[in-house]
Amino acid sequence: MSIKISLHKTHRQFTQGLSTVEVNGRTINDCLKALIQNYPKMGKVLFDSEGKLSKLIEIYINMESAYPDELKKPVKDGDEIHITIMLAGG
Amino acid sequence: MKDGPAFMLTNTEIEKYDRQINIPEIGHCGQEKLKLAKVFISGAGGLGSPAALYLAAAGIGNIKIVDQDRVSLSNLNRQILHGEADVGRFKVDSAKDSMVRLNPEVNIETAPQTITTDNVSRLVSGYDIIIDGLDNFETRLILNKTAINLGIPFIHGAVNGFEGRATTVIPGRSTCLRCMHKEGCGPMAIKFPVIGVTPAVIGAILATEAIKFLLGIGDLLTNRLIVYDGLTLCWAEFKLKMNPKCDHCGHLQKKGVL
Repeated sequence: MSIKISLHKTHRQFTQGLSTVEVNGRTINDCLKALIQNYPKMGKVLFDSEGKLSKLIEIYINMESAYPDELKKPVKDGDEIHITIMLAGG
Repeated sequence: MKDGPAFMLTNTEIEKYDRQINIPEIGHCGQEKLKLAKVFISGAGGLGSPAALYLAAAGIGNIKIVDQDRVSLSNLNRQILHGEADVGRFKVDSAKDSMVRLNPEVNIETAPQTITTDNVSRLVSGYDIIIDGLDNFETRLILNKTAINLGIPFIHGAVNGFEGRATTVIPGRSTCLRCMHKEGCGPMAIKFPVIGVTPAVIGAILATEAIKFLLGIGDLLTNRLIVYDGLTLCWAEFKLKMNPKCDHCGHLQKKGVL
Protein backbone atom coordinates (compact mmCIF):
# COMPACT_ATOMS: atom_id res chain seq x y z
CA MET A 1 0.00 0.00 0.00
CA SER A 2 1.95 2.99 -1.21
CA ILE A 3 0.24 6.34 -0.91
CA LYS A 4 1.83 9.54 -2.12
CA ILE A 5 1.38 12.64 0.01
CA SER A 6 1.92 15.99 -1.68
CA LEU A 7 2.87 18.65 0.80
CA HIS A 8 2.06 22.33 0.81
CA LYS A 9 5.16 24.40 0.19
CA THR A 10 5.01 25.96 3.66
CA HIS A 11 5.27 22.48 5.16
CA ARG A 12 8.29 21.32 3.21
CA GLN A 13 10.59 22.89 5.78
CA PHE A 14 9.46 20.04 8.04
CA THR A 15 10.08 17.28 5.48
CA GLN A 16 13.69 18.08 4.61
CA GLY A 17 12.48 20.03 1.59
CA LEU A 18 10.58 17.12 0.08
CA SER A 19 7.43 18.05 -1.82
CA THR A 20 6.07 14.49 -1.81
CA VAL A 21 6.42 11.64 0.64
CA GLU A 22 5.38 8.00 0.17
CA VAL A 23 3.65 6.31 3.08
CA ASN A 24 1.59 3.24 3.85
CA GLY A 25 -1.89 3.17 5.32
CA ARG A 26 -5.52 2.20 4.88
CA THR A 27 -7.05 5.55 5.81
CA ILE A 28 -6.02 9.17 5.52
CA ASN A 29 -5.46 9.13 9.27
CA ASP A 30 -3.04 6.19 8.92
CA CYS A 31 -1.16 8.06 6.22
CA LEU A 32 -0.89 11.29 8.21
CA LYS A 33 0.33 9.38 11.26
CA ALA A 34 2.93 7.64 9.10
CA LEU A 35 4.00 11.01 7.76
CA ILE A 36 4.36 12.37 11.29
CA GLN A 37 6.32 9.31 12.34
CA ASN A 38 8.90 10.12 9.68
CA TYR A 39 8.68 13.88 10.07
CA PRO A 40 7.58 14.64 13.65
CA LYS A 41 7.35 18.40 13.15
CA MET A 42 4.39 17.81 10.82
CA GLY A 43 2.42 16.79 13.92
CA LYS A 44 1.86 20.33 15.18
CA VAL A 45 1.10 21.51 11.67
CA LEU A 46 -1.61 18.95 11.00
CA PHE A 47 -3.26 18.52 14.38
CA ASP A 48 -4.35 20.94 17.10
CA SER A 49 -3.68 20.55 20.81
CA GLU A 50 -6.77 18.35 21.18
CA GLY A 51 -5.58 15.98 18.48
CA LYS A 52 -8.12 17.18 15.91
CA LEU A 53 -7.18 18.00 12.36
CA SER A 54 -6.18 21.68 12.27
CA LYS A 55 -8.86 24.05 10.97
CA LEU A 56 -6.31 25.49 8.58
CA ILE A 57 -5.64 22.18 6.85
CA GLU A 58 -7.47 20.93 3.79
CA ILE A 59 -7.09 17.36 2.56
CA TYR A 60 -7.74 16.22 -0.98
CA ILE A 61 -7.56 12.66 -2.21
CA ASN A 62 -6.90 12.12 -5.89
CA MET A 63 -7.62 15.85 -6.41
CA GLU A 64 -11.03 15.59 -4.74
CA SER A 65 -12.03 17.10 -1.42
CA ALA A 66 -11.94 14.61 1.44
CA TYR A 67 -14.05 16.86 3.70
CA PRO A 68 -15.95 16.04 5.94
CA ASP A 69 -14.57 13.26 8.15
CA GLU A 70 -11.32 13.41 6.23
CA LEU A 71 -9.35 11.23 8.62
CA LYS A 72 -11.69 8.24 8.25
CA LYS A 73 -11.60 8.19 4.46
CA PRO A 74 -10.10 4.97 3.06
CA VAL A 75 -7.16 5.03 0.69
CA LYS A 76 -5.77 2.42 -1.63
CA ASP A 77 -2.50 1.67 -3.32
CA GLY A 78 -1.59 4.39 -5.78
CA ASP A 79 -3.80 7.08 -4.26
CA GLU A 80 -2.44 10.58 -3.83
CA ILE A 81 -3.21 12.80 -0.87
CA HIS A 82 -2.77 16.56 -1.19
CA ILE A 83 -2.35 18.61 1.96
CA THR A 84 -3.10 22.30 1.46
CA ILE A 85 -3.86 25.19 3.75
CA MET A 86 -6.86 27.45 3.81
CA LEU A 87 -6.08 30.98 2.60
CA ALA A 88 -7.90 33.97 3.98
CA GLY A 89 -6.03 37.00 2.68
CA GLY A 90 -7.47 39.40 0.19
CA MET B 1 -30.94 61.81 -31.26
CA LYS B 2 -33.12 60.92 -28.29
CA ASP B 3 -31.64 58.34 -25.92
CA GLY B 4 -33.12 54.85 -26.20
CA PRO B 5 -34.09 52.57 -23.31
CA ALA B 6 -31.56 52.34 -20.48
CA PHE B 7 -30.17 49.01 -21.64
CA MET B 8 -29.41 50.27 -25.13
CA LEU B 9 -25.81 51.09 -25.86
CA THR B 10 -24.92 54.63 -26.84
CA ASN B 11 -22.63 55.26 -29.79
CA THR B 12 -19.84 56.10 -27.35
CA GLU B 13 -20.34 52.79 -25.58
CA ILE B 14 -20.38 50.87 -28.82
CA GLU B 15 -17.01 52.40 -29.66
CA LYS B 16 -15.62 51.98 -26.15
CA TYR B 17 -16.47 48.29 -25.93
CA ASP B 18 -15.78 47.50 -29.57
CA ARG B 19 -13.02 44.99 -28.86
CA GLN B 20 -15.14 42.91 -26.51
CA ILE B 21 -18.36 43.28 -28.49
CA ASN B 22 -16.38 41.58 -31.23
CA ILE B 23 -15.98 38.49 -29.07
CA PRO B 24 -18.64 36.08 -30.35
CA GLU B 25 -19.63 35.03 -26.83
CA ILE B 26 -20.34 38.66 -25.88
CA GLY B 27 -21.61 40.59 -28.87
CA HIS B 28 -23.93 43.59 -28.74
CA CYS B 29 -26.57 41.76 -26.67
CA GLY B 30 -23.99 40.63 -24.15
CA GLN B 31 -22.72 44.15 -23.74
CA GLU B 32 -26.25 45.31 -23.05
CA LYS B 33 -26.56 42.62 -20.38
CA LEU B 34 -23.36 43.90 -18.76
CA LYS B 35 -24.75 47.42 -18.81
CA LEU B 36 -27.83 46.27 -16.91
CA ALA B 37 -25.87 44.13 -14.44
CA LYS B 38 -25.46 44.87 -10.74
CA VAL B 39 -22.28 43.59 -9.11
CA PHE B 40 -21.50 43.74 -5.40
CA ILE B 41 -17.81 43.85 -4.45
CA SER B 42 -16.92 43.20 -0.83
CA GLY B 43 -13.60 44.82 -0.12
CA ALA B 44 -11.61 47.48 -1.93
CA GLY B 45 -8.29 45.81 -1.21
CA GLY B 46 -5.93 43.52 -3.07
CA LEU B 47 -8.61 41.35 -4.68
CA GLY B 48 -11.28 44.02 -4.90
CA SER B 49 -8.98 46.41 -6.75
CA PRO B 50 -8.35 44.46 -9.95
CA ALA B 51 -11.86 43.00 -9.88
CA ALA B 52 -13.45 46.46 -9.59
CA LEU B 53 -11.23 48.04 -12.23
CA TYR B 54 -11.74 45.30 -14.80
CA LEU B 55 -15.48 45.16 -14.19
CA ALA B 56 -15.73 48.92 -14.55
CA ALA B 57 -13.63 48.78 -17.71
CA ALA B 58 -15.84 46.01 -19.08
CA GLY B 59 -18.89 48.23 -18.75
CA ILE B 60 -20.74 46.64 -15.83
CA GLY B 61 -23.52 49.16 -15.40
CA ASN B 62 -23.86 49.12 -11.64
CA ILE B 63 -21.18 48.34 -9.07
CA LYS B 64 -21.44 48.59 -5.31
CA ILE B 65 -18.22 48.44 -3.33
CA VAL B 66 -18.10 48.07 0.44
CA ASP B 67 -15.08 48.48 2.71
CA GLN B 68 -14.80 50.01 6.16
CA ASP B 69 -11.08 50.78 6.00
CA ARG B 70 -9.11 53.84 5.10
CA VAL B 71 -6.14 53.69 2.74
CA SER B 72 -2.76 53.19 4.38
CA LEU B 73 0.69 53.27 2.85
CA SER B 74 1.18 49.53 3.33
CA ASN B 75 -1.89 48.84 1.13
CA LEU B 76 -0.33 50.30 -1.96
CA ASN B 77 1.85 47.36 -3.05
CA ARG B 78 -1.31 45.59 -4.17
CA GLN B 79 -4.42 47.74 -3.82
CA ILE B 80 -4.21 49.49 -7.16
CA LEU B 81 -7.48 51.35 -6.73
CA HIS B 82 -5.57 53.70 -4.44
CA GLY B 83 -2.49 55.88 -4.66
CA GLU B 84 -0.27 57.71 -2.19
CA ALA B 85 -2.46 60.81 -2.40
CA ASP B 86 -5.37 58.69 -1.11
CA VAL B 87 -3.71 57.67 2.16
CA GLY B 88 -6.15 58.42 4.97
CA ARG B 89 -9.25 58.49 2.75
CA PHE B 90 -11.96 55.86 2.87
CA LYS B 91 -10.99 53.13 0.42
CA VAL B 92 -14.43 53.20 -1.14
CA ASP B 93 -14.01 56.90 -1.96
CA SER B 94 -10.71 56.47 -3.75
CA ALA B 95 -12.06 53.27 -5.32
CA LYS B 96 -14.96 55.23 -6.77
CA ASP B 97 -12.62 57.93 -8.07
CA SER B 98 -10.46 55.32 -9.82
CA MET B 99 -13.41 53.55 -11.39
CA VAL B 100 -15.03 56.81 -12.50
CA ARG B 101 -11.73 57.92 -14.04
CA LEU B 102 -11.62 54.66 -15.95
CA ASN B 103 -15.27 54.61 -16.92
CA PRO B 104 -17.54 57.51 -15.97
CA GLU B 105 -20.59 55.70 -17.34
CA VAL B 106 -20.62 53.11 -14.58
CA ASN B 107 -23.05 53.78 -11.75
CA ILE B 108 -21.03 53.27 -8.57
CA GLU B 109 -22.41 52.99 -5.07
CA THR B 110 -20.14 52.97 -2.06
CA ALA B 111 -20.55 52.02 1.57
CA PRO B 112 -17.72 52.62 4.08
CA GLN B 113 -19.08 49.92 6.35
CA THR B 114 -18.08 46.68 7.98
CA ILE B 115 -20.12 43.77 6.66
CA THR B 116 -21.95 42.19 9.61
CA THR B 117 -24.77 39.72 10.10
CA ASP B 118 -27.02 42.72 10.83
CA ASN B 119 -26.41 44.70 7.66
CA VAL B 120 -25.34 42.12 5.09
CA SER B 121 -28.78 41.36 3.63
CA ARG B 122 -29.56 45.04 3.16
CA LEU B 123 -26.16 45.63 1.54
CA VAL B 124 -26.34 42.84 -1.03
CA SER B 125 -30.07 42.72 -1.78
CA GLY B 126 -30.89 43.37 -5.40
CA TYR B 127 -27.43 42.54 -6.71
CA ASP B 128 -26.88 39.90 -9.39
CA ILE B 129 -23.60 38.57 -8.04
CA ILE B 130 -21.28 39.00 -5.07
CA ILE B 131 -17.51 39.16 -5.36
CA ASP B 132 -15.44 38.17 -2.37
CA GLY B 133 -12.54 40.58 -1.95
CA LEU B 134 -12.39 40.15 1.81
CA ASP B 135 -9.37 39.59 4.01
CA ASN B 136 -10.85 37.27 6.62
CA PHE B 137 -12.73 34.00 6.63
CA GLU B 138 -15.37 34.90 9.20
CA THR B 139 -16.89 37.67 7.07
CA ARG B 140 -16.65 35.39 4.04
CA LEU B 141 -18.91 32.94 5.85
CA ILE B 142 -21.40 35.74 6.60
CA LEU B 143 -21.49 36.60 2.89
CA ASN B 144 -21.63 32.93 1.90
CA LYS B 145 -24.68 32.31 4.08
CA THR B 146 -26.46 35.45 2.92
CA ALA B 147 -25.69 34.72 -0.72
CA ILE B 148 -27.28 31.29 -0.31
CA ASN B 149 -30.33 32.63 1.54
CA LEU B 150 -30.92 35.27 -1.13
CA GLY B 151 -29.97 33.04 -4.06
CA ILE B 152 -27.15 35.29 -5.22
CA PRO B 153 -24.04 33.70 -6.76
CA PHE B 154 -20.89 34.25 -4.72
CA ILE B 155 -17.41 34.22 -6.21
CA HIS B 156 -14.73 33.40 -3.67
CA GLY B 157 -11.09 34.30 -3.89
CA ALA B 158 -8.25 34.38 -1.35
CA VAL B 159 -4.51 34.99 -1.44
CA ASN B 160 -1.39 34.65 0.64
CA GLY B 161 2.14 35.36 -0.56
CA PHE B 162 2.48 34.04 -4.09
CA GLU B 163 -0.48 31.68 -3.68
CA GLY B 164 -4.11 32.24 -4.50
CA ARG B 165 -7.35 30.36 -5.00
CA ALA B 166 -10.83 30.80 -6.37
CA THR B 167 -14.13 28.99 -6.61
CA THR B 168 -17.67 29.99 -7.59
CA VAL B 169 -20.74 29.27 -5.47
CA ILE B 170 -24.12 29.01 -7.17
CA PRO B 171 -26.53 28.69 -4.22
CA GLY B 172 -28.01 25.22 -3.91
CA ARG B 173 -26.31 24.05 -7.07
CA SER B 174 -22.63 23.94 -6.18
CA THR B 175 -20.33 23.59 -3.22
CA CYS B 176 -20.37 26.58 -0.91
CA LEU B 177 -17.60 27.75 1.39
CA ARG B 178 -19.31 26.16 4.35
CA CYS B 179 -19.47 22.81 2.53
CA MET B 180 -15.69 22.96 2.49
CA HIS B 181 -15.16 23.98 6.10
CA LYS B 182 -17.46 23.29 9.00
CA GLU B 183 -15.57 25.78 11.08
CA GLY B 184 -13.76 28.91 10.06
CA CYS B 185 -10.08 29.06 10.74
CA GLY B 186 -10.52 31.61 13.53
CA PRO B 187 -8.63 34.86 13.62
CA MET B 188 -5.61 34.81 11.34
CA ALA B 189 -2.75 37.23 11.10
CA ILE B 190 -4.16 40.53 9.87
CA LYS B 191 -0.88 41.37 8.20
CA PHE B 192 -0.79 38.40 5.88
CA PRO B 193 2.15 38.53 3.47
CA VAL B 194 1.34 39.17 -0.17
CA ILE B 195 2.78 40.62 -3.34
CA GLY B 196 0.43 42.57 -5.59
CA VAL B 197 0.70 40.30 -8.60
CA THR B 198 -1.02 37.47 -6.71
CA PRO B 199 -4.33 39.26 -6.04
CA ALA B 200 -3.98 40.72 -9.54
CA VAL B 201 -4.24 37.19 -10.96
CA ILE B 202 -6.99 36.02 -8.62
CA GLY B 203 -8.93 39.31 -8.77
CA ALA B 204 -8.96 39.08 -12.56
CA ILE B 205 -10.36 35.56 -12.24
CA LEU B 206 -13.13 36.81 -9.95
CA ALA B 207 -14.03 39.45 -12.55
CA THR B 208 -13.89 36.82 -15.31
CA GLU B 209 -16.29 34.58 -13.41
CA ALA B 210 -18.67 37.49 -12.82
CA ILE B 211 -18.71 38.39 -16.52
CA LYS B 212 -19.23 34.75 -17.53
CA PHE B 213 -22.10 34.34 -15.08
CA LEU B 214 -23.78 37.57 -16.14
CA LEU B 215 -23.58 36.55 -19.79
CA GLY B 216 -24.35 32.87 -19.24
CA ILE B 217 -21.23 31.77 -21.10
CA GLY B 218 -18.34 29.38 -20.49
CA ASP B 219 -17.85 26.98 -17.62
CA LEU B 220 -17.94 28.46 -14.15
CA LEU B 221 -15.65 27.42 -11.33
CA THR B 222 -18.49 25.55 -9.67
CA ASN B 223 -17.53 22.50 -7.63
CA ARG B 224 -13.94 23.29 -8.54
CA LEU B 225 -11.24 25.00 -6.52
CA ILE B 226 -8.32 26.31 -8.50
CA VAL B 227 -5.12 26.95 -6.62
CA TYR B 228 -2.45 29.15 -8.15
CA ASP B 229 1.22 29.16 -7.22
CA GLY B 230 3.00 32.18 -8.65
CA LEU B 231 6.42 30.82 -7.73
CA THR B 232 6.10 27.79 -9.99
CA LEU B 233 3.34 29.20 -12.19
CA CYS B 234 1.51 25.95 -11.69
CA TRP B 235 -2.23 25.62 -11.21
CA ALA B 236 -3.94 22.81 -9.34
CA GLU B 237 -7.63 22.06 -9.71
CA PHE B 238 -9.43 20.24 -6.96
CA LYS B 239 -12.92 18.81 -7.22
CA LEU B 240 -15.29 19.98 -4.50
CA LYS B 241 -18.38 18.18 -3.24
CA MET B 242 -21.55 19.61 -1.79
CA ASN B 243 -21.99 18.57 1.81
CA PRO B 244 -25.56 17.32 2.46
CA LYS B 245 -25.12 18.28 6.13
CA CYS B 246 -23.98 21.81 5.31
CA ASP B 247 -25.74 24.23 7.65
CA HIS B 248 -25.66 26.95 5.00
CA CYS B 249 -26.92 25.20 1.86
CA GLY B 250 -27.89 21.68 2.98
CA HIS B 251 -31.58 22.68 3.23
CA LEU B 252 -31.61 23.54 -0.46
CA GLN B 253 -30.16 20.14 -1.29
CA LYS B 254 -32.84 18.41 0.81
CA LYS B 255 -35.62 20.36 -0.88
CA GLY B 256 -34.45 19.02 -4.21
CA VAL B 257 -33.63 22.45 -5.52
CA LEU B 258 -30.68 20.91 -7.37
